[in-house]
Amino acid sequence: MRQITYIIERFDGARKFTQEYSFSHQPGKTILWGLITIKDTLDPTLAFTAACRSAVCGACAIRVNGQATLACETPLDATLDRFGDTLTLAPLQNFTVIRDLVVGWEEKTRHLADDQTWLIPQDKFSVQNGCRQSAADFKKINTQAACILCGACASECSKLTANHNDFLEPFTYSKVWKFVADTRDKSAPERIKAILDKGLWKCLHCAECIAKCPKGLAPGEDIARLRRLSIQMGYTDSPGARHALAFLQDITDTGRLNEAKLSVRSIGVLGSIKKFPLALKLIRRGKLNPFYFPTKVKGHDQIKAILNALKESEQP
Amino acid sequence: MENYDVLVIGSGGAGMRAALEAVRQEGLSVALMTKMFPTRSATGCAQGGINGALKNMDPADSLEKHSFDTVKGSDYLGDQDAIEYFVSQMPDAIRELDYFGVPFSRDSEGRIAQRNFGGASSPRTCFSADVTGHVILHTLYEQCLKHGVKMLTEWYLLQIVVKDGQLNGVVAYDMKGGRIVPLAAKAIVVATGGAGRIYWLRTTNPFTSTGDGMAACLDAGIALKDPEFVQFHPTGLAGTGILMSEASRGEGGYLLNNQGERFMARYAPEKMELATRDLVSQAIETEIKEGRGFGQGLSAYVQLDLRHLGREKILERLPQIRELAITFEQVDPIEQPIPIRPSCHYTMGGIDVLDYRTCTTAVTGVYAAGEAACVSIHGANRLGGNSLADIIAFGKFAGKGAADCARQRQVVEVASVDKAAKEWEDKFFLVTSRKTGATITGIRDRLAEIMWNNVGVFRTEAEMAAAITIVDQLIEEYQTVQVLDSNKVYNTIFVNYIELGSMLSVAKAVVLGALHRQESRGSHCRADFPERDDEGFLKHTLITKQTAGYNISYRPVVVTRYQPAERKY
Repeated sequence: MRQITYIIERFDGARKFTQEYSFSHQPGKTILWGLITIKDTLDPTLAFTAACRSAVCGACAIRVNGQATLACETPLDATLDRFGDTLTLAPLQNFTVIRDLVVGWEEKTRHLADDQTWLIPQDKFSVQNGCRQSAADFKKINTQAACILCGACASECSKLTANHNDFLEPFTYSKVWKFVADTRDKSAPERIKAILDKGLWKCLHCAECIAKCPKGLAPGEDIARLRRLSIQMGYTDSPGARHALAFLQDITDTGRLNEAKLSVRSIGVLGSIKKFPLALKLIRRGKLNPFYFPTKVKGHDQIKAILNALKESEQP
Repeated sequence: MENYDVLVIGSGGAGMRAALEAVRQEGLSVALMTKMFPTRSATGCAQGGINGALKNMDPADSLEKHSFDTVKGSDYLGDQDAIEYFVSQMPDAIRELDYFGVPFSRDSEGRIAQRNFGGASSPRTCFSADVTGHVILHTLYEQCLKHGVKMLTEWYLLQIVVKDGQLNGVVAYDMKGGRIVPLAAKAIVVATGGAGRIYWLRTTNPFTSTGDGMAACLDAGIALKDPEFVQFHPTGLAGTGILMSEASRGEGGYLLNNQGERFMARYAPEKMELATRDLVSQAIETEIKEGRGFGQGLSAYVQLDLRHLGREKILERLPQIRELAITFEQVDPIEQPIPIRPSCHYTMGGIDVLDYRTCTTAVTGVYAAGEAACVSIHGANRLGGNSLADIIAFGKFAGKGAADCARQRQVVEVASVDKAAKEWEDKFFLVTSRKTGATITGIRDRLAEIMWNNVGVFRTEAEMAAAITIVDQLIEEYQTVQVLDSNKVYNTIFVNYIELGSMLSVAKAVVLGALHRQESRGSHCRADFPERDDEGFLKHTLITKQTAGYNISYRPVVVTRYQPAERKY
């Protein structure tokens, strides 16, 4: 009989340890089935959460071989084909671990509350009469409304792993975007203003949140949407916004980046001086040439055409 | 000691709506206690929609039509005064949800879209694609955050402490903190959901629908009303019981047997697939029993065919259904029919609510709402789209009722709550240090097996009598069951142990109620009493738990405008 093994990162409230469980393979099952099999037949002390077992409640998000996933909808066989018959299961990253695979949500829900992730309806609507919204406008918030708060995006977020003190969970940005995009809401300007100081420009564009969302959301893209809108609203006085604009300027002018200038334009002369040691290192390794003044790339007119087409497509 | 004016237990739609109503009342301390993170609740599994006569799709719809559909759907067991009040509140309640931020699908004029649903004479089911429960649940959670509702997250209800018919508080297990906690409360709202897990794997319900509040109320001296009425949803996935929304029939899906026939023509020639859930489930099981299903025994099924709806409509209106079918049954509904079979979906019965306007029970201070409660508006069979409606309407009434009660009550007797908590400390130690005895999973699986086989879609005296014997035996074994984890931090097996006790308590009430109801009505289908018997049984079953055992009594159904008539679809 084919045996498979889960190596589980455990925590009993005081002590961290790993434990191996081997059990008989059955075809057509899920990762969650394996966890339940362990709990039912091998070790009742193993703690994990699961509720709907149909990918709508978000309770069973864990990491399998370093990938955040919903245990209930992840096919066991495909996972075994990819990783072999031994899997390593761990709680989500960037969460407080309570016990074994169970994580705490206190900090995350505080962020949701701090950032007012609820509808602030326009004055023309009322509790008695409800709201109006076109079918097309409903579609603008439909995707973000599918978030199940499973935490997979937060677990895999490279920025949160590096430093969680100046950044929010990706799903929080998606929630904020949902209300910015909701035509029933009246507070888009205030929401944009508030989110600027909440790490809006700190996303590293690793796109892990997009890759790992089990419900097809793209928090990274929602962050980009928030950024774009903030620039349109005139919030250009931040390193992130300046960097983006300088980047665009270079591409528009020549089709190439001038990295030395990019730094000065993003973080200013003083800021750039502070980065001097890094610049020296880059120069020494041949990664940065201070005497390089890019000329126009071949086919620059085509780049311009693309940029113009993009601009047009963004006109409301 | 933790001390609240209003303590809401359960974080589904009913609980959160109740908490929102209670915090709105000035000067009261309110908390919401839930055994999991709030948005994991069963409300999120509701897919198809929420009923209210908004008349957006059909100007001829009316409160009367919604009332009558609900009464007829209930097979005349619903209380008609409660139903009339309920339907009259729904249009406003749905517009309020819109104002709260629920992202509803829209019609061409920007109003909330409505669709056809089983047993409805007009398209009055408001929806958000096929994730209506999910978006309502998350929107209510957003509103709870907005209003700063205090959340006791992952606190598990162990006992409702009652003395001389008065509530004093509850005992809870703070799972993350690893401690047993007494909470004094002037009023509680029990909104802990259904008990579909008594059928364990043959249910659409989450693992957490274990009848906790129902069992705690039984222990506190409150009756369960009509527990024998268990709804089997016609379209659960064959392999896992996972829900395929009624919207799949509402949008025009066909049910096919192994001859390729739309067999509903035999059972409900007019409404076809859009007959009520009880009738469609019984039709499917009859087809299987008479050899017109696919497969054998427990793995038998019929087919739900959506192919003729076309790719575009499936992607637009039923995207989640498609994903679930692909993930859990490896079938893409755009290309193939989906194997389905009835799956336990909803408990129409529940905690006996005495006044539909306040949701009060027989114990001063205890209120109940949602699937945990029985008002009764669903009677013998709930209409699709009426459960999300139920939790929104009665969650609100219960929150208000509990708040009003808390304001009137003076202090509660704290000592009794303290004492109960100390007894639970001892009990925790006792059960977790046991090294022998039956296993929790063993009892759970045998309970589910006997419930599905003997107290399922079709029922007979002999089979149910056998079920009683086995349930009693399981209750006996439960007294010495092994728990095998003495760690107090997030001890899930201890929680499973209490949940199993709840399931056994509720299951026994289900079987008893079913055994004594010698007629067929709605979801309760007796092979030995195939007719409805209004003379003998137009009445609610009431089951209480006393020291000597369970006791059965009855209460007449409230009939106002609609005299019982034969039910045809």
